[in-house]
Amino acid sequence: MEIAAPTHLPQWRGRIYGIIGLIILLALVVVLAVSVGSVNIPFLTTSSILLSKVPLVGANPGWSGALETIILDIRLPRVILAGVVGAALATAGATYQGLFRNPLADPYLIGVAQGAALGAVIGFLLPTTWQGTGFGLIPLLAFAGALFSTAVVYNLARVGKTLPMTTLILAGVALGALLGSIVSYLIISSGEQMHGIIFWLMGSFSLSQWSEVRIVLPYVLVGAAVILLYARPLNIMQLDEEQAQQLGIDVERLKLILLAAATLITAAAVSFVGTIGFVGIITPHAVRLIWGADHRFLLPLSVLSGAIFLILADLLARTVLAPTEIPIGVITALCGAPFFLYLLRRRKKVIF
Amino acid sequence: MIEIEVHNVCLGYGRETVLDGLTFRVRPGEMVGLIGPNGCGKSTIIRALSRVIPPRSGEILIDGKEITKIPRRELACLVGVVPQMPILPSAFTAFEVVLMGRNPHLGLFQYEGPRELDIAWRAMERTGTQSLARRRVGELSGGEIQCLLIARVLAQETKAILLDEPTANLDIGRQVEVLDLIRNLCLQSNLAVLAALHDLNLASQYCHRLILINNGRIHAEGTPWEVITPRNIEEVYGAGGCVYTHPVNGLPTVLLNAGNGKMAKTGGGTGGE
Repeated sequence: MEIAAPTHLPQWRGRIYGIIGLIILLALVVVLAVSVGSVNIPFLTTSSILLSKVPLVGANPGWSGALETIILDIRLPRVILAGVVGAALATAGATYQGLFRNPLADPYLIGVAQGAALGAVIGFLLPTTWQGTGFGLIPLLAFAGALFSTAVVYNLARVGKTLPMTTLILAGVALGALLGSIVSYLIISSGEQMHGIIFWLMGSFSLSQWSEVRIVLPYVLVGAAVILLYARPLNIMQLDEEQAQQLGIDVERLKLILLAAATLITAAAVSFVGTIGFVGIITPHAVRLIWGADHRFLLPLSVLSGAIFLILADLLARTVLAPTEIPIGVITALCGAPFFLYLLRRRKKVIF
Repeated sequence: MIEIEVHNVCLGYGRETVLDGLTFRVRPGEMVGLIGPNGCGKSTIIRALSRVIPPRSGEILIDGKEITKIPRRELACLVGVVPQMPILPSAFTAFEVVLMGRNPHLGLFQYEGPRELDIAWRAMERTGTQSLARRRVGELSGGEIQCLLIARVLAQETKAILLDEPTANLDIGRQVEVLDLIRNLCLQSNLAVLAALHDLNLASQYCHRLILINNGRIHAEGTPWEVITPRNIEEVYGAGGCVYTHPVNGLPTVLLNAGNGKMAKTGGGTGGE
């Protein structure tokens, strides 16, 4: 993205520095998260092992093969998956908030989470242990459930050729409640599977592998790229639909594209790691508080902040009570909420 | 230079018909005023001419082309709108809102470059809003927002401008400033301008032609003297006004007459017809 440095828009420079700063911070956080665990590895050793895998960077392999396995095959896929999921949820959250012009919107607003949960619970309860290539039945059913419920909500909310956003929210909330009650009933009657289901719903990266990264990453890359392309139209949607049309935006097409992209990345993210809460709603708000509401910056900054936040949250989830793992949904809310409230109090200004 | 032509158009929402049998045109370099009582459909006409609502029947031609066949982005390069009391995102700065006017000129893969920033900045200069550039829109007054919206439509660089009550929130000094600016633009750049105006005196002072809407159709159309007549005023607005001749420029002027149910006679001032 190329942005000129105009003399009369000093806030742009701060936002560009913000993006650069967050990229550096993300790199540091990845190395930190890979270093810390049941075996603590020195920061420098971790950095060299990671760098040795980067093409064209020669590094002297002065470390043991076991160390390399821990870092590259066990910890790195988990850290990267956490980053990808965090980025996906934060981007989807920012998109929904912008599209609905509603600060309470999150990636789960129109039924993605409840659909995914229902799919996953059915997967838990089915008496099969079918294995696809690199993933099991549960993520597949969760993904299908997420897309199916969103499609139902979308079709319920449509009025002729238009899609009124309030109807969409109401349809999403109503269908979400319906699916949620089915999920609750299934959990109660699930017997010994109950613990596994609840753990899934709160989210966990404990079973992350490279194969999952390879499946989730393309969806998130493509979806996020599409959303980033539409950052300027999304800004103009912050006016109202009439003004957006008068400024040359095909409003209905924009809604369809952005809803599809945001739903797809959310569904891909939650299918493997469960319906992690809080990242999607709070990260975009935190970014807004610090850097403002312009989507051209809000979206890339949310990608980076979401990744950093979820990698750190997962780091805490697996280290605080090691060897027991805490569900990551607990950590995101427990640590994220106070930080967000601090930001909210420190910067008393209009953010939305 | 473009011309807006409306041929026998019917407009409405849902089952309700608001306007029927509309036929008029706005030529380049001409400023046309839309007047009429509250709820007569002035804003509906502006919505139709910017393709927010489709005509039920008849046709609207922009630059000779049927409006529904012009892609939205292309249309937004031809026709700009200054809306009445719009929603603006309070967290955006005034400059960012003006810059949004450049949107139709930019493709999906383009970002605002120095050229866009410069155009937006000059639009703010012409509307006297530069000092507001860094303020958040949520902090601005109604009048400041009105000027900002005019800056936005200038930044849009369209060939026709539709204004919905552009002076509603302005003090009289600003009213004159804003309408002077719009009329100069109209004359210098040959823009086709259609303005819905509440104030009959401003309409009379600034517009080449007026269209008076009442009861879902065009009640009268023509020069200010042809439209602002005691008879038309009485038929459309009921009682309460007198038409005089402006002492300086000889244009019709409506003065209110409190508590008087009857219309007074035209004339009386200096330099009548």
